Amino acid sequence: MTALVLPLARFLFGALTVAVGHGTRVFLVLSAVVDAVLIAGMCTVLRGGACTVTFGGWKGLGIAFSIDIISAAMAALALTLSVAVTLYTWRDRMRPSIAALLHLLLGACYALAFTKDLFNVYVLFELVTLASFLLVGADRRPRQVWASLRYLIFSSFALSVFLFGVAVVYTHGNALDLDAVAAAVARSPGASWVHVAAALLVTGVAVKAGVFLFALWLPLAHSQAPPAVSALLSGLVVKMGVVQLFRLSLAFPLGVPLTVLGILTALLGIVYALWAHDAKRMLAFHTLSQIGYLLVGFGAGSEAARFGVIDYAVAHGLFKALLFLAVGEAAAVVGSSRVERLVAERRLVPRGTRVALAVAILGIIGVPPFAGFAAKAVVESGISSVVIRIFVFVVSAGTVASFAKLWPVVFARSSVRTAPPRAAAYGLLGTAVVLFLPISRAMGPAAVWAATLRGSAYVEALAAIAVGAAAYAWSRRRGPRLPERLFRLEEGVLVVLAGFLLVYALLRGS
Amino acid sequence: MFGWQGVAAAVVLFGIGTLGVVLRRDLVVKLLALAVVNSSAILCLVSLRVRPAAGPPLLGAGATPVMADPLPQALVLSAIVINFAVLALALVFVMRLVEQYHTTDSHRIDRRTRDEDAE
Repeated sequence: MTALVLPLARFLFGALTVAVGHGTRVFLVLSAVVDAVLIAGMCTVLRGGACTVTFGGWKGLGIAFSIDIISAAMAALALTLSVAVTLYTWRDRMRPSIAALLHLLLGACYALAFTKDLFNVYVLFELVTLASFLLVGADRRPRQVWASLRYLIFSSFALSVFLFGVAVVYTHGNALDLDAVAAAVARSPGASWVHVAAALLVTGVAVKAGVFLFALWLPLAHSQAPPAVSALLSGLVVKMGVVQLFRLSLAFPLGVPLTVLGILTALLGIVYALWAHDAKRMLAFHTLSQIGYLLVGFGAGSEAARFGVIDYAVAHGLFKALLFLAVGEAAAVVGSSRVERLVAERRLVPRGTRVALAVAILGIIGVPPFAGFAAKAVVESGISSVVIRIFVFVVSAGTVASFAKLWPVVFARSSVRTAPPRAAAYGLLGTAVVLFLPISRAMGPAAVWAATLRGSAYVEALAAIAVGAAAYAWSRRRGPRLPERLFRLEEGVLVVLAGFLLVYALLRGS
Repeated sequence: MFGWQGVAAAVVLFGIGTLGVVLRRDLVVKLLALAVVNSSAILCLVSLRVRPAAGPPLLGAGATPVMADPLPQALVLSAIVINFAVLALALVFVMRLVEQYHTTDSHRIDRRTRDEDAE
C-alpha cells in the first residue's frame, strides 16, 4: 500500500501548496517527513522479500507496482535529493507554484520507480517531462526557455515512439504488465514483433535516460537550468529512464544493443566533457558518460553487474547532485560558470562549498572509499569480457582527466562562509557520498561484496586516477573543435530515428 | 479505414510529422507537426486492435457476441489529454521566446541564445 501512498502524498502536498498559497516550506518539510516514514515502512516490508501489488485487477490488466530493491533504492534517492534541494533553496523562499511542481516531479518519480505497467510508464514520463520542463524554464530567462522547449519537443517525440511500442506489445503480447510481456516474449523468441517493440520502447526510454543518439537535448537543458533543478534532473530524472531500461532489459533480449549504446554514450560524454570550457556543461556531459557506464553494466547481464548498476545509479545521483549544487553556487558567486573564471576567482567561493566540491569530485572519480569507488567496483566485478573492462578503465581515467580541471577550485584561501541551510544540504549529500560503502554493503547481497572488494579493485581505482592525471596534462595541450551541430533540434530528431534503426539492427543481428 | 489500413496511415502520418519537425523552421509549425506525430501514435494504438464487426464493449442488454477492445480506447483518452497539455505549454513558451527575440525561427533563436552564451 505504501507504494501507492508515496506518490499520492506528494501530489496531495503539491495541491495543498498551491491552494494555501503560503507556508511552502512547511509543506516541503512535512512531505519529507511523511515520505521518510513511508520509505522506512517499505524497507521493513522488503526484508520479507520483494513483492508486487496490482491495482484494479481487471482481467489481468491491473497496474502492477513492484516493491523491490530497485524501487526502494530509487525512492530513498529521490527523498534524499528532495531534502537536499529543499535545504539548498531554503533562503530563496521558493514560490508556491515552483514548490508544487517539485512535489509533482517527485510524486511522478516515486511512481516511476514502482510501476511495471508500460502505459503507466508513458503517462508518468509525460508527467515528469511537463514538471521538469516548467522547472527548467521557471525563471523565464530566454535561454532557459529555449533549452526547456527543445527538451519538451524531444521528449514528446520520443514518447510518441514509445506509444507505438506500447501498441505493438499490446497487440501481440496481449498485456501491458512487464512480467506478462516477458512471458509473451519468452513464448515467441526471435519473433519480428519482439524486435520492433523492443526497439520502439528502448528509443522512447533512451531519450529520457540520457543515452547517446537519443539524448542530445540533455547537455543544453541540464547546463542552463537553475542549480537545484539541474541537480534533480541529473541526479533523479535521468535515473528514472535508467530504471525503466533496466526493467525492459529483464523482459526483452537487450544485452547487445545496451552494451553498444553504453559504449557510444560513454565515449561521447567523455570526449565532450574533456574539452568543455563551461563547468556546468562539463557536468552535463559527464551525466552522459556515467549513464553509458550503467548501460554497459546492464549489458553484462550477470547478477553482480545488475546489483552494481543500481548501486552506481544511486551513488551517481548523490555525487552528481552535490556537484551541480556546489558548482551552481560557485558560479553564482563568481558570476560565470566558465572553468577559467571559476579557477581564477576561487577566493570568492565559500569554504563549505569548496569542501562539498572536493567530496563530490573524490566521489565521482572513484577514490576509495568514496561512493564512486564502491559502486564501480561492483559493476566491474560483474563484467567478464576483457575488452569491456579495458573500456571501463578508459572511461574512469577520462573522468579523472576532465575533473582535474575543476580540482584547483578546491584549494583557495578564503574566509567566506557558506550559509547554514546550504551547508546542511552539502552536509547531507556529502555524508551520503562518504558513508555510501557501509550503507550499500548492508543492503546488498554479501556474496557480491566478498567478490568485489579485493586488492585488485583498489589498484585499478588508483591506476585509473594516475592515467587520468596524465591524460589531463595531455589534453591541456590540444583542443580539437568538436562539432556542435549534432546538438541542434533538427539534427537531433533525425539522430533519434537513426538510433532506433541501430537498436533494431542490433536486435535482429544478435 | 480500420485495422491494418489504420496502422499504415499512422506510419505515414508519423513520417509527415517528423519531416515537419525536422524541416520547418517556424516553431509554431514545428509544434503542429509534433502534434501530428503524437496523433499518429494514437491512431496506431486504436487501429491495431480493431475487431471486424465488433459492437460496443457493453455487458447486459444490447451486448454483441464480438466486443471492441475497451482498453486501447481508455489508454488513448489519457494520451490525447496529455498531448493537449504538452502542446498548450509549449506554445506558451514559444510566446515567451517571441517576446524576447521577435521571431519564431528556430535557427535564429538557437543562434541568438548561443551568442548570449559566448558573451
